Amino acid sequence: MLVTIFKRSAQAALLASFSFAAVAADDLAAGKGIYDKACFACHKSGVMGAPKLGVKEDWQVRVDQGRKTLLDHALNGLNSMPARGGNPALSDADITNAVAYMVDAAGLKLDGGAAKAAAAKPVEKKAPVKPVAKAEPKAEPKAKSAPVAAAKPKPTVKFNRLMKSADEWNPPPAEDGIHDPDNEGVVLLQSPREGMQGFAPGISGNRVDWVKTLEAGTINPRFDRLDPTKKPFVMDLNIVREVKGSMPDVVYPHKQHTEWLDCSNCHPDIFVPKKGANQISMAAILLGQKCGVCHGKVAFPVTECKRCHSKSKKSVAFKE
Amino acid sequence: MMKAVSTLATVRRIALAMCLLLGGLIGSTAAHAEYGDIVINNYSDEAGMRPAIFPHWFHRIRFRCKVCHADLGFKFQAGGNKINMLKIIDGEFCGACHNGEIAWSPENCNLCHSGKPGTPTQVHHSTVQKLVDRK
Repeated sequence: MLVTIFKRSAQAALLASFSFAAVAADDLAAGKGIYDKACFACHKSGVMGAPKLGVKEDWQVRVDQGRKTLLDHALNGLNSMPARGGNPALSDADITNAVAYMVDAAGLKLDGGAAKAAAAKPVEKKAPVKPVAKAEPKAEPKAKSAPVAAAKPKPTVKFNRLMKSADEWNPPPAEDGIHDPDNEGVVLLQSPREGMQGFAPGISGNRVDWVKTLEAGTINPRFDRLDPTKKPFVMDLNIVREVKGSMPDVVYPHKQHTEWLDCSNCHPDIFVPKKGANQISMAAILLGQKCGVCHGKVAFPVTECKRCHSKSKKSVAFKE
Repeated sequence: MMKAVSTLATVRRIALAMCLLLGGLIGSTAAHAEYGDIVINNYSDEAGMRPAIFPHWFHRIRFRCKVCHADLGFKFQAGGNKINMLKIIDGEFCGACHNGEIAWSPENCNLCHSGKPGTPTQVHHSTVQKLVDRK
């Protein structure tokens, strides 16, 4: 019960605050600043269906839904659009300004559409009551109807609440938890989302399939520190390791590994280059040994079972 | 009897491992930086500098693993290389490229020394960190 009250008052506060923002004039210049810092990562090139900057058709449908809906989606998220563009530090006014800037860049007006202006108005009327009135629970019944209606279109339900959604991966350095945002150098560092744009998507790690990205030629990392023409010595040899139980056998491809690495990286320190000489277990890998020297640190982690356990066993006829 | 005791110990060990594993997979840490970011804090805190952060993703776009891990002699271990500024200025480790010719020079202190003070040496967001280090 207490939780629902909290939720409701939070929703009411949010509603109140953004209808306040609606009253204030949108600051396009400030909006551009926010866009250049955060929104551009998706809205410049149209990542995952994001409406592109300056493309009228993309924005028209959004503007047609009305200011309130558009801002609600920007603030609370919709489909691939994370709430506040994935940056909780941005205020309602920041988001509103950024949206206004992007809408303006598409040659449209955020307030467009008479029907929507009317829809937004009742909320504005209600809003001044709340910030003043300290007794939020009192205002609650009034607010109730609006948040419920507003809550419906936002699909905040995730596939798994314990797993981060795609938009939460690769945060900019200042927000990643280990970089110090007070350090002025941090703002100069490239954001991973920007740096890895257009790479083959992966399902774990930094959400990049590095092998495919390299194969596709999207990146061409040097094999030599100084000589960009030097090519790796690629060895195409698969090693099959039979494993216990019903788990598919492991196929270890030298090819993909030698694209990146030198023989001496693994042999003989990590793996003795002799059949049957290496005891490998998932426990050892999880603890950072054997394959785990890289896999689970910089290469795809063990959660992608089937990338290694890829050779299914022949089914054996069941006998009693 | 001895056997029973050792079996019990094994069971206990497995149970502990499972707990660790589950704890690691379920417990989400507040910090969630880029997969493969290395924090190196061998000497930084003592010297009053922020710990250095090495972003693997940025470097592997430009160089294959072999360049640093075979040619330049970087061990596959966070903090295991005992890198200091003297070595870097002498052209070892990071200094092999960060010399103002291939990449920017080591005078840009705060581009590397950019971590939150007190962050321990780690491979950020790695499986080992989640299961064992819990930093």
